[in-house]
Amino acid sequence: MIHFVLLISRQGKVRLTKWYSPYSQKERTKVIRELGGVILSRGPKLCNFVDWRGFKVVYKRYASLYFCMCIDQDDNELEVLEIIHHFVEILDRYFGSVCELDLIFNFHKAYYILDELLLAGELQETSKKTVARLIAAQDSLVETAKEQQGSISNIIAQATK
Amino acid sequence: MTMHGMRGLSVFISDVRNCQNKDQERLRIDKELGNVRNRFKNEKGLTPYEKKKYVWKMLYIYMLGYDVDFGHMKAVSLISAPKYPEKQVGYIVTSCLLNENHDFLRLAINTVRNDIIGRNETFQCLALTMVGNIGGREFAESLAPDVQKLLLSSSCRPLVRKKAALCLLRLYRKNPDIVNVDGWADRMAQLLDERDLGVLTSSMSLLVALVSNNHEAYWSCLPKCVKILERLARNQDVPQEYTYYGIPSPWLQVKTMRVLQYFPTIEDPYTRRTLFEVLQRILMGTDVVKNVNKNNASHAVLFEALALVMHLDAEKEMMSQCVALLGKFIAVREPNIRYLGLENMTRMLMVTDVQEIIKRHQAQIITSLKDPDVSIRRRALDLLYGMCDVTNAKDIVEELLQYLSSADFTMREELSLKAAILAEKFAPDLSWYVDVILQLIDKAGDFISDDIWFRVVQFVTNNDDLQTYAAAKVKEYLDKPAVHETMVKVSAYILGEYSHLLARRPGCSPKEIFSLLHEKLPTVSTTTIPILLSAYAKILMHIHPPDQELQSQIWAIFF
Repeated sequence: MIHFVLLISRQGKVRLTKWYSPYSQKERTKVIRELGGVILSRGPKLCNFVDWRGFKVVYKRYASLYFCMCIDQDDNELEVLEIIHHFVEILDRYFGSVCELDLIFNFHKAYYILDELLLAGELQETSKKTVARLIAAQDSLVETAKEQQGSISNIIAQATK
Repeated sequence: MTMHGMRGLSVFISDVRNCQNKDQERLRIDKELGNVRNRFKNEKGLTPYEKKKYVWKMLYIYMLGYDVDFGHMKAVSLISAPKYPEKQVGYIVTSCLLNENHDFLRLAINTVRNDIIGRNETFQCLALTMVGNIGGREFAESLAPDVQKLLLSSSCRPLVRKKAALCLLRLYRKNPDIVNVDGWADRMAQLLDERDLGVLTSSMSLLVALVSNNHEAYWSCLPKCVKILERLARNQDVPQEYTYYGIPSPWLQVKTMRVLQYFPTIEDPYTRRTLFEVLQRILMGTDVVKNVNKNNASHAVLFEALALVMHLDAEKEMMSQCVALLGKFIAVREPNIRYLGLENMTRMLMVTDVQEIIKRHQAQIITSLKDPDVSIRRRALDLLYGMCDVTNAKDIVEELLQYLSSADFTMREELSLKAAILAEKFAPDLSWYVDVILQLIDKAGDFISDDIWFRVVQFVTNNDDLQTYAAAKVKEYLDKPAVHETMVKVSAYILGEYSHLLARRPGCSPKEIFSLLHEKLPTVSTTTIPILLSAYAKILMHIHPPDQELQSQIWAIFF
């Protein structure tokens, strides 16, 4: 299974973390620092797999961001590499050519999307179309609620004039 | 760049990013945390929008590395919100910040359960997602029956059932007893008839876990899995949206093949033949293509197929095909494939018979030991270690020793240990073994545990023929300008016992051996001193007739 997902910038800044195994706050900080160090020091022409603390970490760099997923020793590495790509393609589709700034200012969206992609540390949905549809539905639910909120406020405002 | 509206949040993020240094950032964060704390105290005044905003701000601050423990309760409390937008934030932020060991997560169980058994599908999804991501034993006990019901309910939409499958998987991992095996075997077989590939993929993940603990109960699933694999491999009935760069759901193919690896054999000849046909086609038909992602996906399937072939203990011919493929892979330029080639070759070693064929690739594997990529070097080391036997031990160990000088520190311990084990296991003769261990101590003394040099001493003690040789060799090392402390220990012991055998050689008189050892005394730690002192005493004992001068010299040290 995937134990955690980590997105870090080239300067080691965390853009997203999701933990599917129980790591305490202290452990998380340590993991991020340690693993970040290992990944960021790897050169460009090397393979996308690292042995780390008895686990494997599959990572891939997209522009200024490193996408990392920590898996078990006997998991299929290439499969996870393409899960990362699948995630990136979904983000790309949603944000329209995604860049790091999108993920910084809309990190909450990235979490919504990740929750439709992975669950319990496993791949949940392999159709990009379906994920896009689900997120759009969620977005519209939120928009509708906002509008309702707005219209209720208006009604109250009118009534109490 | 699309702004998905939360102005207050964006402004805050900009503020933080505009800070010039860490101190400024800390100031800005503390100010915000103070503000959030205050606003949370007076909760009645907070609009739903504000509640969301503050909880997201908390998550952002947490991601920067700051402590936001005070806000955990707030995030959890949003789970009980009546409307979707707030509830969604509550669920997601909770699952990011907390884990199953946080006690007050328990407080949310009732609300979560209500959402799961309620009629609101979007609420069900939120609940299933959070429980699937961070649910612990207690959640397993309370919620498993409800989650199971959702998974099996035909009136539930695929979206819900897909999440229920993975949620159940998590709960099962936390407490295997929640799945009553007797009931589930048939249900799993039924789930495998699922048309929706999202639900099928999730169900397959669940099946992997169930089968890995108890394959006997799930025999009925075996032929269905083979059918699914066949359907996918032939690209039959696979909707366009489930095709990845032209490959029909590679992930589902991989998962299905993983399930099959938990069944020890395939009894039914028809099923077996079908499966082998599919595997054969994958092995022979996976070409290298330009598109990186297509290549990765098709090779992910290929490597899983390889693992399955190995597991099924196929005929010699198919096994040779596999090794031939791997032999090709370990020599390609693409580092991922090289890495996986080496790793899978190591796995193949578990299957006997192929050892000889793998040895044909020894030269290439040794080249990989010196690859610029440490990940590949590690795989090469594992493989060399696994393929070592009496015929190639000398070559392999000598390569390892050579590599040790330039190896990075993270690998030296493993490298030395493996070299020592191989040297002992497969030594063509004992003097070579002694050589190897002494070289190891010389090159990587810091990583050689005491066990290793104790064993050398044991061998030397039990083999008279070895004693003169060993004594001469350690003396050579002691003559060098820089000597590792472990070398001093082993040399002192051996010279103490056996240097008298060298007495006639130039430079090896008891006096000379003694001074050679004695000049190390000031440089060693307290653990080594007793060994040196015993050595002096033993040297004295071996001198016939006694040498008065040396005797007084040595006694002076003791008294």
